[in-house]
Amino acid sequence: MATLIFQGLLPFLFILGVSPLLVGLINKQKALLTGRLGAPIWQPYYDLFRLSRKETIYASTASFISRLAPVVSFSVILIAGFMLPIGYVRPLLSFSGDIIVFAYLLGLARFFQILGAMDIGSSFEGMGAAREAAFAVFAEPIYFFTIGSLAFVSGYTSLYEVYLSIHLDNPSSLVFIIVSSISAFFLMVTECSRMPIDDPTTHLELTMIHEVMILDNSGIDLFLYQYSSYIKIMIYGIFEVLFFNPFSLHNQWLGFSLFAILLLLLSTVVAWVETMIARLKIKSIPQYLLFATAIGILNLLIYTFVR
Amino acid sequence: MQYLFLIGCSLFFIGAIAALLIRPIKHALSIVVVITVLALAINLIFALMRLIALPMVTDLFPVFSDHASLFRADGLALFFLLVITTVAIPTVISTYSYLQHYLHKEASVRSFLISFSLLLLSTQLLVFANHSIVFLVCWELMTLMAYLGMLLEKEKEEVQKGSFIFFTTTHMATLFLYIFFFLLHDHFGSWSFSDFHLSSSMGTIFYLVCGFGFLGFGIKAGFMPMHFWLPWAHPIAPAPLSAFLSGVIIKTGIYGIFRVIEFCSPLPVWMGIIILVVSVFSAIFGVWYALTQHDIKKLLAYHSIENIGIIGIGIGLGVLGVSYSIQSLVWLGFGGALFHTFNHAIFKTLLFLGSGVICHNCHTRDIEKMGGIVHHASWFVGLFLIGSIAISGIPPFNGFMSEFLIYKGFFNAAAALGNYFPLLMLLLSVGLAFVGGLALVCFTKINSIMFLGTERSSLQSFKVSSTEYTALGMLASLCILFGIYPQSVLGIISSVITFNHAGIIIQPYTMFTHWEFLTVIFVSVLLTIVCVVLWKKFNTNQRISQAWGCGYTALTPRMQYTASSYADEINSIASQTLHLEKHVTAPKTLFPQPSHFVSHAEDFSEKRFIAPMYKYIMNKIDSFEFLSRTDIRFYISFMLIMAIIYGGIAIVWPH
Repeated sequence: MATLIFQGLLPFLFILGVSPLLVGLINKQKALLTGRLGAPIWQPYYDLFRLSRKETIYASTASFISRLAPVVSFSVILIAGFMLPIGYVRPLLSFSGDIIVFAYLLGLARFFQILGAMDIGSSFEGMGAAREAAFAVFAEPIYFFTIGSLAFVSGYTSLYEVYLSIHLDNPSSLVFIIVSSISAFFLMVTECSRMPIDDPTTHLELTMIHEVMILDNSGIDLFLYQYSSYIKIMIYGIFEVLFFNPFSLHNQWLGFSLFAILLLLLSTVVAWVETMIARLKIKSIPQYLLFATAIGILNLLIYTFVR
Repeated sequence: MQYLFLIGCSLFFIGAIAALLIRPIKHALSIVVVITVLALAINLIFALMRLIALPMVTDLFPVFSDHASLFRADGLALFFLLVITTVAIPTVISTYSYLQHYLHKEASVRSFLISFSLLLLSTQLLVFANHSIVFLVCWELMTLMAYLGMLLEKEKEEVQKGSFIFFTTTHMATLFLYIFFFLLHDHFGSWSFSDFHLSSSMGTIFYLVCGFGFLGFGIKAGFMPMHFWLPWAHPIAPAPLSAFLSGVIIKTGIYGIFRVIEFCSPLPVWMGIIILVVSVFSAIFGVWYALTQHDIKKLLAYHSIENIGIIGIGIGLGVLGVSYSIQSLVWLGFGGALFHTFNHAIFKTLLFLGSGVICHNCHTRDIEKMGGIVHHASWFVGLFLIGSIAISGIPPFNGFMSEFLIYKGFFNAAAALGNYFPLLMLLLSVGLAFVGGLALVCFTKINSIMFLGTERSSLQSFKVSSTEYTALGMLASLCILFGIYPQSVLGIISSVITFNHAGIIIQPYTMFTHWEFLTVIFVSVLLTIVCVVLWKKFNTNQRISQAWGCGYTALTPRMQYTASSYADEINSIASQTLHLEKHVTAPKTLFPQPSHFVSHAEDFSEKRFIAPMYKYIMNKIDSFEFLSRTDIRFYISFMLIMAIIYGGIAIVWPH
């Protein structure tokens, strides 16, 4: 019974509670790597708290879409988070075919984010929305070439079972997993608007995607958008880390601590990549994404014939 | 109970006569609408009752027991009757308010009402036809009535052109179907559908029959190289008719393809592969062409091609399932195709009816000239938005559910078939995901450009009548119902497939996934949304202010993002394939000068394939110009000569 309650509560605690910490960790490490002291790792929590108390200002051109979009995007991303296993724990929502539902739920969030941005009628948001929409089209195939190809290879269609089927003992499957995880990292960078696709720290609107879309949001709406972007990083982080999480490890505490260590490691990798690589030109982003797709295809072809 | 259907069908005749006789026109309109809705409701009840009792019914129409072979009510026919009547009821309801704008043109309205009643009737009889000639008569009647209905605004030149293209192209399709049925008759010596049993061991005749069948029905359905008539016909048809055209008439092509597949047994594997490839091609390019369009109805027409492609993918999977006899794949493929047929009929009707309302209020079909409609009619925008999300295949609406079945089909085929199939299926699923992504771009584009922001050209009022709200509301609630609780249709689809593939024992649909989980997810998303909205309502102080303009205060509506700039990011990548042309006249000096920008895309198959063919045929025909004389005696002699030739052939034809 206690285990069941723990399993039920864990996703809530982890997705809602720890997501801002992951972003704080990334930012702190990035600051340290660039030789600054940086904000404390709890800064995202302070930010969220501050935003939740601020006044919400709506543009005079905004309609009900602006008021609805942050809510939909937050709720959908939160529920999508419950479909991923935390560590070794079976997720709250797991059934055959959830791999597709997961991808399309995030599509619903994106649909409303784009509409929310376009609702203001400002060119800034329009530009961000157009970019978000275009790059999402190229990011979608990466999802299917990484986790989707795992599903096709293993024959399972639930995220939990797909990850359960990963075995790192065989060298050809190890290489397959490593290359897939690189593609998935590209996907994470794109979906979470991190460098080198998007720069979450500068405020030069013309060069950005996510930040420019939420330019006219404030107060509680901005809170919801920020929180959902933190959750999104957590989701894609889990998504990435699970490639290497050996499910065969049956000791729950050991499995869980390994999971946490891997997440920590991932935050270091993200911080390191963001320090070392400059942001790409907007024009070359499709090439970057197509590159990730291409290595996914190659990887799958090689694996199919070597196996 | 068969009398129910007879009563329903005869009511359409009464409706047509009422449209002809009752004066004034205003009364005629309301009476015809009431009669037609009643007739459709009767047929809907008939279809539902028969479908629920499906495993028990015989496949004959006892009413026509003397000519049992003329009509047959089997599972597929009943399912299509269900689709037709479900979407026809809201269409007819909205016809009432649509035609209010044309009441001054009495004759046109009367002829529209008559042709629409007969169109509804012929489409319903078509799916029951079991005799080739009856089928062809219904098919021809359907095409003609749709053509006559398109002529509501016949004084406009674009209407003349578009309807003519529809007329000629669909007659090409009919020509292929004549050849198809004559070949079948020649081989089997029967006109009855139940006597056709093709198999690939027959050699040439099999390939010929399948080729002509797929060509004829494929033109009607709008598969990609044969799709060119859709973007011409849909924009010029009156909104209820274009809704019916896209929701139902192109589905009769899908119905025909299902029948052709039913004639063949065993099904060859290559047939499934060809259908899959053509369908993916249609889906991807259909949606990409849609992205380049600015005309709302033309855009929706291209989306019909995309969705026909998705239906085709389902059919292809089903064919693979039959040929390898994998029962679950048969269910997922054909089930996905049938479910998507139903779903597409629902949301496309919703979108076309909505576009009719928009066009009447904005007096244009160009989305670049709209904007800010949400401030006039937010409920209407909400309903249109439901249709848009559904057609993009995004949960929790019905479009997602049928795509989910098809995705499950991919996984199923990969797991069951092995060999090179996992790779093929993965590529197909990436293709479908790509289509979904492009559809999302396209529908965020039209929703945000048409409805959001500020008005690009001034809009005094935006009127949506209560009948239009009723029609749109019915369709939107079906989108929600089938999305959140798909089990309501899946049971019916199961029994339809079991009925029409008697050799295959179909597992219950509950085998494939835990459907209740989907409901749980969608309900929990909705609950979370409600909670957050409530929390937001009680917890915040809000204020309304100017949008941020980077310090610039003289913003005008023309400075908003346009549809072409929104889509340019992605269209410019494929500008070669899409024939996307941009003409820019930029100011060259420091001082403002007139400048302009035009972008338009041309259809690949139309430009490279259809137009040259048309030109070639016209040139050839021109070379017979010497035959055209002013004297009528020449023509009479031509006819005599032809009659003699035909008679001669008939005499010497080996029999």
